Amino acid sequence: MGYIQLVLILGGIGLIATLGVAILTGYTGLFSIGHAGFMALGGYAAAILVKEFHVPMLLAILAGGAFAGLCSPIIGYPAFRSRLRGDYFAIATLGFAEAVRIVLNNVRTIGSIELGGAFGYMDLPTLDTLGWIPPWATVTVAALVCLYFSHQFVTSQRGKNCFAVGQDEVAAEMMGVDLLRTKLLALFVSACLAGIAGALLGFYFGYLSPSFFTLTRSSDLLAGVVFGGMQSLIGPTITSLILIVVPQLLLQFAEYRLIVYGLLFVIVMIFRPQGLFGHVEMNLGFLRRLWKPARATGK
Amino acid sequence: MPHGPDHGVADMKMLIQQIISGLSIGAIYSLLAVGYALVYSVYNFTNWAFDGFMAFGAFMGFTAIISLVMPFWLAGIFSIALTISLSVTVETLAYRPLRQRNAPRLFMMISAMGVNLAIVNTINKVYGGAFQKFPVHYVKPYFIGKISIGRMDLMAAIISFGLLLLVWLFLFRTKLGLGIRMSAVDVLTSSLMGINNNVVAVTIFGITGVLSSVAGVFFGIKYAVFPVMGMVTIKAMIASIVGGLGSLPGAVLGSMLLGVLETIVAGYVSSNYRDLFSFLVLIIILLFYPNGLMGKRVEEKL
Repeated sequence: MGYIQLVLILGGIGLIATLGVAILTGYTGLFSIGHAGFMALGGYAAAILVKEFHVPMLLAILAGGAFAGLCSPIIGYPAFRSRLRGDYFAIATLGFAEAVRIVLNNVRTIGSIELGGAFGYMDLPTLDTLGWIPPWATVTVAALVCLYFSHQFVTSQRGKNCFAVGQDEVAAEMMGVDLLRTKLLALFVSACLAGIAGALLGFYFGYLSPSFFTLTRSSDLLAGVVFGGMQSLIGPTITSLILIVVPQLLLQFAEYRLIVYGLLFVIVMIFRPQGLFGHVEMNLGFLRRLWKPARATGK
Repeated sequence: MPHGPDHGVADMKMLIQQIISGLSIGAIYSLLAVGYALVYSVYNFTNWAFDGFMAFGAFMGFTAIISLVMPFWLAGIFSIALTISLSVTVETLAYRPLRQRNAPRLFMMISAMGVNLAIVNTINKVYGGAFQKFPVHYVKPYFIGKISIGRMDLMAAIISFGLLLLVWLFLFRTKLGLGIRMSAVDVLTSSLMGINNNVVAVTIFGITGVLSSVAGVFFGIKYAVFPVMGMVTIKAMIASIVGGLGSLPGAVLGSMLLGVLETIVAGYVSSNYRDLFSFLVLIIILLFYPNGLMGKRVEEKL
């Protein structure tokens, strides 16, 4: 049971962040390799709110997400406005994530707040303090809410705009889609989700360290989206759980994990670029099909 | 704090020292920036595997000297040869199938990212993640007046510029170079005109291999060799944005500027914030000079 709880917690947190990457990279076609930076921003912001200002934890988690989202135009606006190709946006995200990590590594205190620099921000309240709700339930519910929200977003008009931009920027612009606004929105939503995941991570472990938010974490998130499938939410959902469970089972091969991921990236792109579940959208159609024959026979 | 004329002279000396050091690191950046710009100008995608190539080149040089007891020049050739083969292999196995299918650029980037993950983590597995000193002993600097110039810094700058000159001569004075420049304008048309695309690709990735290997070895000598040393290539990308996209002289100019500026920041402010500073430069350039210092306005092709 402990193991299943662990998978639910880490998988749920990974899922929330992966959904962010799915919206940005999978749907909008903007390649991000710096989502760990947004996770760090959200995590630290939420932790400071709870520890220093005694904000209720759930509110702080949301505020952490909002903070990450509000920071996203720092890279989004310059990169999108100058209409740089996608590659340079990716560089900007990578640079941003590194910059966040460098600052967190070197800033020991802000005013009277002890951030701890490279040692980590210690003694945070944990998810256990929420009372009668066990941590795994909190994270699972949060993941489901985020999944529902992401689904609502990608099926909304704005989500469809994102999809159009991901397919062909020029065509989308000709159809009247505001490129800058759409991309900024996708980045904002994506960063919010990453921030929420970062906040949950901090409150699960009870401390935060800049070493949580390295390039490896960003690569893991990207892996979930690439393997799960572009333009799909259910794909990354499933793969992000698989990617939590499989490395746990193959612990003695842990060092080879990233090598294998890398090779799989290439193989997936060459042989199955749509990923495991590409273009398959999350829907409850199968439930309806179960329900319909039953009704037909009852008639 | 000492006062009087000596203080000013010491300041001046330190500044010149910083500029020289910055130019030598700028020379390494410019190798990397030109490598990116070459691939980008023809295939319109960023070769994310480049930092893997660079780390690979550095570690091959390192192995050649430590394990195979080669002299420095032979180790350099050894590293260049292996990095070229790696680069060309990656091109053939990971990029060519995608290119031939006319896959979206995002797929190319992800594939390149995968190659990079695999290379860097293989190096990490084989050599371990520790920082290792590159075993070269040309440490005694030259002195011009009171200003010292590291021998390796000078060598890095000279070899880098020699190499860049060779690349330039190749691109602008040979027939194959003409073919590459033509592919940069339009890959499809140039292949209709009888230019063998695969030869062009192999040549470009061969050149990339040379550039990344040399950059890796000199970077390793200047700092250390470690698996994620390729992260500096982000500086080269920033430099090429600063200089202007798709412009080779711009890439060199941007690299020099960035190298000098960040060395000065490291010297006068804090070396911790050196990387942060480069990122700030990127944002400022993106906001105010989105086409870089020497870049042309490029419209999206239909």
